Amino acid sequence: MTITADYETAEDRPVRPVDPDTTRVTEHGHAKPAWLFLTPFLVLYLLFIIGPSIYMVVMSFFDTSLTRPGLGALAGFGNYGEALTSPDFWASMWHTIWFTILTVPPLVILAFVFALLADRATRGRWFFRLAFFLPYILPSAVMALIWIWLYTPELGLLGKVVTSLGFDEPNWLGDPNLAMWSLAFATVWWTLGFNFVLYLAGLQDIPRDLYEAASMDGASPWQQVRRITIPMLSRTTSLVIVLQIIASLKIFDQPYIMTSGGPNFATRPALEYVYDMGFTNFRTGYAAAVSTLFFILVLAVSAVWVFLTRRQEQGL
Amino acid sequence: MIGPVSRRTLLKGAFAGLGAASLAACSSPVGAGIAGSQLDPGTVDYWNLFGGGDGVRMQSMEDAYRKANPGTPLQAVTLAWGNPYYTKLTLATVGRKPPNVAVSHLTRMKTLQSADLLEELKPEDLARHGMSAEMFNQRAWNAGLVGGKIYAIPIDTHPFVLFYNTKICGQAGLLDAAGALKPIQGPDAFTDALAKVQKVTGQYGATHGINADTATPWRFFQTLYSQLGGQVLSDEGTKVVLDDAKATQVLTFLRSLTVEKKLMPSSIDYQGAIALFANGAAGFHLNGEWEISTFQTAKMPFSMTLVPNVFGGTYAVQADSHTLIVPRGGATAEGQLDLSLGFIKSMLDQSMTWAQGGHIPAWQPVAQSDAFKKLTPQSNYAAAADAAVYDPSGWYSGSGSNFEIVMGSAIGAVEAGQLSPDAAIAQIRSKLSALASTASPV
Amino acid sequence: MTTLATDTEARRGTRTEVTQASVDRRLKLFNGVCVGVLIAFALMWLVPILWAVDTALKPNAETTKTTWWIDNPTLDSFRTIFAQGDIWNWYASSFITSLATAAGTVLVASMAAFALSRMRFKYRWVVFWFILIGIMIPHQALIVPQFREFSALHLLNTYWAVILPQIPAAIAVFIFKQFFDGLPRDLDEAARVDGAGFFRTYWRIILPLSRPVVSAVAIFTFVWSWNNLLWPLLVLSNPKLMTIPVGLATVQGSYGIRYADTMASAILGALPLVVIFLLFQRRIVEGIAGTGLKG
Repeated sequence: MTITADYETAEDRPVRPVDPDTTRVTEHGHAKPAWLFLTPFLVLYLLFIIGPSIYMVVMSFFDTSLTRPGLGALAGFGNYGEALTSPDFWASMWHTIWFTILTVPPLVILAFVFALLADRATRGRWFFRLAFFLPYILPSAVMALIWIWLYTPELGLLGKVVTSLGFDEPNWLGDPNLAMWSLAFATVWWTLGFNFVLYLAGLQDIPRDLYEAASMDGASPWQQVRRITIPMLSRTTSLVIVLQIIASLKIFDQPYIMTSGGPNFATRPALEYVYDMGFTNFRTGYAAAVSTLFFILVLAVSAVWVFLTRRQEQGL
Repeated sequence: MIGPVSRRTLLKGAFAGLGAASLAACSSPVGAGIAGSQLDPGTVDYWNLFGGGDGVRMQSMEDAYRKANPGTPLQAVTLAWGNPYYTKLTLATVGRKPPNVAVSHLTRMKTLQSADLLEELKPEDLARHGMSAEMFNQRAWNAGLVGGKIYAIPIDTHPFVLFYNTKICGQAGLLDAAGALKPIQGPDAFTDALAKVQKVTGQYGATHGINADTATPWRFFQTLYSQLGGQVLSDEGTKVVLDDAKATQVLTFLRSLTVEKKLMPSSIDYQGAIALFANGAAGFHLNGEWEISTFQTAKMPFSMTLVPNVFGGTYAVQADSHTLIVPRGGATAEGQLDLSLGFIKSMLDQSMTWAQGGHIPAWQPVAQSDAFKKLTPQSNYAAAADAAVYDPSGWYSGSGSNFEIVMGSAIGAVEAGQLSPDAAIAQIRSKLSALASTASPV
Repeated sequence: MTTLATDTEARRGTRTEVTQASVDRRLKLFNGVCVGVLIAFALMWLVPILWAVDTALKPNAETTKTTWWIDNPTLDSFRTIFAQGDIWNWYASSFITSLATAAGTVLVASMAAFALSRMRFKYRWVVFWFILIGIMIPHQALIVPQFREFSALHLLNTYWAVILPQIPAAIAVFIFKQFFDGLPRDLDEAARVDGAGFFRTYWRIILPLSRPVVSAVAIFTFVWSWNNLLWPLLVLSNPKLMTIPVGLATVQGSYGIRYADTMASAILGALPLVVIFLLFQRRIVEGIAGTGLKG
């Protein structure tokens, strides 16, 4: 029996049934067993992902209420009109984007710098991995409780540090101008570890001789980083940036737990706006319209990611 | 390979053990989680939003219930005040696993009822537990009726009050022979009193929360505005009937106190306002009566009284009432309603304990008792219960609601000197009409 | 001429040695500084968690003193949390929903990936692209319609409401498919010749060979499901049914100013995941690195 390692010919080779067992290959392909294998996933997918996506769009055209059954009165494009002219809607979109702007650069740059530094360590990498990655494992609620305590006026550790340096204690979570920065700071602490691990793995893949050759040519460490490390990590970096942006767009947990979207809605992101409109104000139809707009935004950004990764897979 | 494997096995074993232990420790919720069955029948599940001093007091009342009813487990849960509490209560009721009894502000209970989230309480059931309409403060009771039907049992009225430092006010010459604050009538008298106190303290006459606090500015505004006879919303919140002239009058007066005459700090948060009064940097403090425990703990010389009738006319003061409600689906099990009503009666019977937290009991057997009448400083402002002005009806209105946030942030901005009265009124009108023109989802 | 050449070479030789030694020393110093700086940052990074543990070991009254030193170390806050009881329900809820989600996802996604990778059928590419769009769909945008759906199904406040929408994870299908594509076809051929049907090939041959990706998907799904807040927050509204994140986020009111108790509950909430991290560190890190390398 010849074993063909060539995939194309193996697939193209006509197959004949060896016995009438229907789970075997037939000339018409493997339709029946294939669908059996696909059904569990597809059923759940249709029922709980695709179905709701369609329902969401339908609901957005009605004034559906959380507590009343049925779709409610027809609103046409009213909900969309209201959302697109609502200062609260645009404010929440801005808060989401502002949060993204505040967190993505540090999460990318700091993680890269730390990975560079860790790469220089010959032993004890486990310690750095533990220190930076352990926060990432924590549920958001745990992280939030810890940082609420750190930010507590008068009693929190951070306030103590600031006042011991001679400054006034800032109102970390209660000052509308400062609250988002405080949330961003805590978030960087929380999620930097993931990017750190990604970068560290990427760094370890760069052949050492490249560096040796460069240093023989008299290149300083900084030049080596600029000319070798950064370009060779460009794939990782673009992945990190896109993943970070998508994750930041979906922010909910930290503002919800730490500031309730306040003070006075100064930190309320898009998803919390959906939550407030749909579940606090009972207006699920309107919330569905906002969700659809949010869906489109994130879909667009994710499409960029998929495009980037498919392009890289095709070998750049 | 053997060393690391056995370490992992040990850890995995511990892990599995923890999982099994937690599963064993609570078969009932797991059953409910898998099959949607009843949670803990025969107990009373009670949700409230009382933190701080009120929370401690409520806990002691709950403990008294437990002592008196050893056969009925009571499970009390405290959730964060305001919108988060009401959202969770709504979700639990829509999710068919509501608590058996829950606290609700009277101003919010109307919306919950319109959303069909409350069980109706029948007079005969209430009678069985010794409760009937005339045993409650009539103003609070009637405000809670919907179409003549009972959906809420009021336990108190908590008005906006005036705290005053007896020592400082004495030095300012504002106390009468008995050591109580002499009545203040009219805006000039009020301003004058604050100025006299400011001379004594050297800093401020009065304080109240402004920064990141939308409730307090609203309450102060509503008190003065209602004294002028003004209203903000009508027709269940679908119409904005703000009287510009009266609103301007109030806002200008407030602004004069903070920005122009600097008798009150214009940039201070809730806790800061309390601290200034407690430390004697101000002689007056405007807040809800519930802060009484804070100042008692601070061991400072203070008393409380009605907010003065600054603008004359019929006396009015902003207030809300706490009520106990039964969410829809919270009394389906056999005998559950009686357990819940028994708990409610127990809370009413302990109104004296609750009153010590500053609240005016709605339960007349206690409110009319000698013990309460002798309780100071509560008896100083007990009349507020009959002059209480509740927030206007509307699906977006009520304590801690979007309505209060819209009003409070504009009023606070005027007091902070960030908005002129005209600009504030324009902002209020535009935001409220957006809310008013939205179809009610309940 | 040769003398000149050798002379220069000899001189260059010595100079290179000397330069090389000092370069080495400078490099070592530089590395040392780098590592030193990183150690400082790493220690700072550990502070919040260490501070939380420090607070939890203090009696509640002592938490107002912002110092590391504990006058009367005690485990009382942990006892209080355990005695209060809710945390056991939350553990149970989290374990059940996360384990079921992880098992369900691995099973369902690997089966779908097997079909896409190993089988020929007419609509194969249609299904492939249909599932691909699932990767781009932000699940958080679907909370409103999903809530209505589960409300209509009377499944709110059950574990199913959490488990069912989490299982069809398109990304898991792709991870499996990518891995299966890398397994040689002759395995299937050999199995077929031996008389195995598709299911047996999948179960007995492909899955066992896929242990690294199975465990990676299982662990990541478990952790992700455990940490999920927004959706369980909506569907688990009774404190007895809440998962750890929802419970911690919701019931903060009861602890009020008892900071040691609050920190104890936070630590207890994180404990199972920390255990998982310690157990499966290498797998987790490899999994992430794999994501990065695959781009």
